[in-house]
Amino acid sequence: MNTLFEAYKKMFLIRTAEEELVALYLKEKIMSFVHFYIGQEAVAVGVCDALKKEDKVLGNHRSHGHYLAKGGDLKKMICELLGKENGSSRGKGGSMHMMDRSVNFMGSTPILGSVVPLACGTAFEQKYNNKPDVTVVFLGDGAFEEGIVYETFNLAALFKLPLILVVENNLFSTNSKLKDRRSDAHHVQGIVTGFGIQYVKADGNDYEDVLGKAKKLIAGARMGHPAVLECMTYRHMAHSGPIFEEEYREEDTAENRLKKDSIKKMRQAVLHGGVSEQEIVSAEDGIKKTVQDSIDFALNASYPPKESLYTDLYAP
Amino acid sequence: MPRIIKFTEALREATDQMMEADKNIFFVGLGATYRNAADGTATGLASKYPERVFDVPDSEGGFTGMAVGAAINGLRPIVHHGRVEFSLLAADQIITQAAKWNYMFGGGNPVPIVLRINVGRQWGNGPQHTQSLYALFGNALGLKVVIPSTPRMAKGLLVSALRDNNPVVMLESRWIFPVKQDVPIELYTEPLGYAKVAVPGKDITVLAYGDGFVAAYEALSLLGEQVSVELIDLVSLNPVDYETIFASMRKTGRLLTVDTTNGAFSVGSEIISKVAQKSLQLREAPSALSCPNVPCPTSTALTEFYYPTKVDIANAVLRVMHKPAITRALTFEELHLAPNLTLL
Repeated sequence: MNTLFEAYKKMFLIRTAEEELVALYLKEKIMSFVHFYIGQEAVAVGVCDALKKEDKVLGNHRSHGHYLAKGGDLKKMICELLGKENGSSRGKGGSMHMMDRSVNFMGSTPILGSVVPLACGTAFEQKYNNKPDVTVVFLGDGAFEEGIVYETFNLAALFKLPLILVVENNLFSTNSKLKDRRSDAHHVQGIVTGFGIQYVKADGNDYEDVLGKAKKLIAGARMGHPAVLECMTYRHMAHSGPIFEEEYREEDTAENRLKKDSIKKMRQAVLHGGVSEQEIVSAEDGIKKTVQDSIDFALNASYPPKESLYTDLYAP
Repeated sequence: MPRIIKFTEALREATDQMMEADKNIFFVGLGATYRNAADGTATGLASKYPERVFDVPDSEGGFTGMAVGAAINGLRPIVHHGRVEFSLLAADQIITQAAKWNYMFGGGNPVPIVLRINVGRQWGNGPQHTQSLYALFGNALGLKVVIPSTPRMAKGLLVSALRDNNPVVMLESRWIFPVKQDVPIELYTEPLGYAKVAVPGKDITVLAYGDGFVAAYEALSLLGEQVSVELIDLVSLNPVDYETIFASMRKTGRLLTVDTTNGAFSVGSEIISKVAQKSLQLREAPSALSCPNVPCPTSTALTEFYYPTKVDIANAVLRVMHKPAITRALTFEELHLAPNLTLL
């Protein structure tokens, strides 16, 4: 099996699903806040390809890609965005609350930084029960500025937990630019390593770079060395919804985004690796059909009954 | 043969017995491994369960969130916050994460965590160490919120909380930590979500909780035989057991609520609003006692007038009953120090 081709298919699935969801969003079919993942696919797939099924993943407000990369069910995801009964959270969560426990995607939460200690507790349980597994949590450069993240660094280092924090640095927190939020002296590596946490920086637009570095850090985490993997990447869409003023961008211009686009680069790499154009197109067509079928399924799925409003406040 | 133990010892015993029964239970809190940990409620646990009691950095949001994360993966943490003000540093993790988790993921996602949070009065602690914030927790959907008022209730509620599959917040009034009672040595439960008729009566329903319950209990002896009070221990803030409260009021036709925090958005105002909506046939308008709507100061010259006392409660009952007030001067100890009292 060509592993690069397999990874390309996962990235292409995420990209295609997101592009089709953008179209639905613009038709006002999605009444759920959506934070699109387009542009960051190499991070989710690179990191999740370095994990075992038993390893656990948690995410944030922008987690469609993380969920799908871990193997989350596409139909349930789209149903969730459309507020349908058979959505992954039965319509109660929406886009910001992805969850598929069957593949150990343990949930995503949109309050910045909030998911980081939850992931730390997930790793705590793995250590408490002597499991050989690790926990990965995805957060952005905005969440990286929340105080609770630093509290968690200290806890993870103190308890030697199998935790990897993947920071997707896309240069924006909503519309606030990184350079407007941090002093010139701000030093991510210095902050992280000062807590006793390992730090590695990766090119988040490059699948193989992310995969290689993630593998190394995950091996260390299994031995009780928590780590941060910071992935530099571009967010092609707005913070929420698709439209973002192009003239507002500096480094991540349309030209740069296109030049560094991980999907485009991966496709080239797969071709060079000996997979024919025809094979690639046929795989892409299959994925497009899967996405379209899933959207049709979701559009025709039923809404939750009124009684569902009142259920699940407490677990039995 | 009665076995008289303190409120704090009842909590320690419940924790010990439950940790023995369930290895998924672990204890997290500042100073948790110290010999008098958590005001004596965790004494000896660290040496008995060395891998399951964790002292933690001063990072309330972080360690509370870590415990919530452990709970969503099947462990059963007990998180101790020695002052409610410090638990607010973890408000996102308690109110927005743990409390919403099962609902927002459409069910099937239990969060079996117990948050033991100390609240309320203590001499010399002032505005930032004596808040109770019952209303805040009572309003946070998805939490079960209980307030133990007696040592027996403390043990039984903690056992239930540790068997429940939801985030349970126990708001423990520091003031009544030395209060004693005969407590069964074996494991037993008191159900979450139910009020309890502590003393049956027929003239007036007095609804109280926490240190207010103990003050109301003491008020009964000041009243003697002249009024038959039905004293209800509220026990649960979320959900409130209206059935027990309304059943009592249908019998007595009179109500006094006792809050030992400020009156705005209090238990008193909440219950009386429901009574009004229910159009219960009352003999007298409902009555409420609470602290004034100012923070609790530090000077004893001021705190003397802050909390409703047993005399205030007795006189509030007599007022509703159209009987003359009693005069009884309270000693400095009665006003400012925790009660040294054994409950029946």
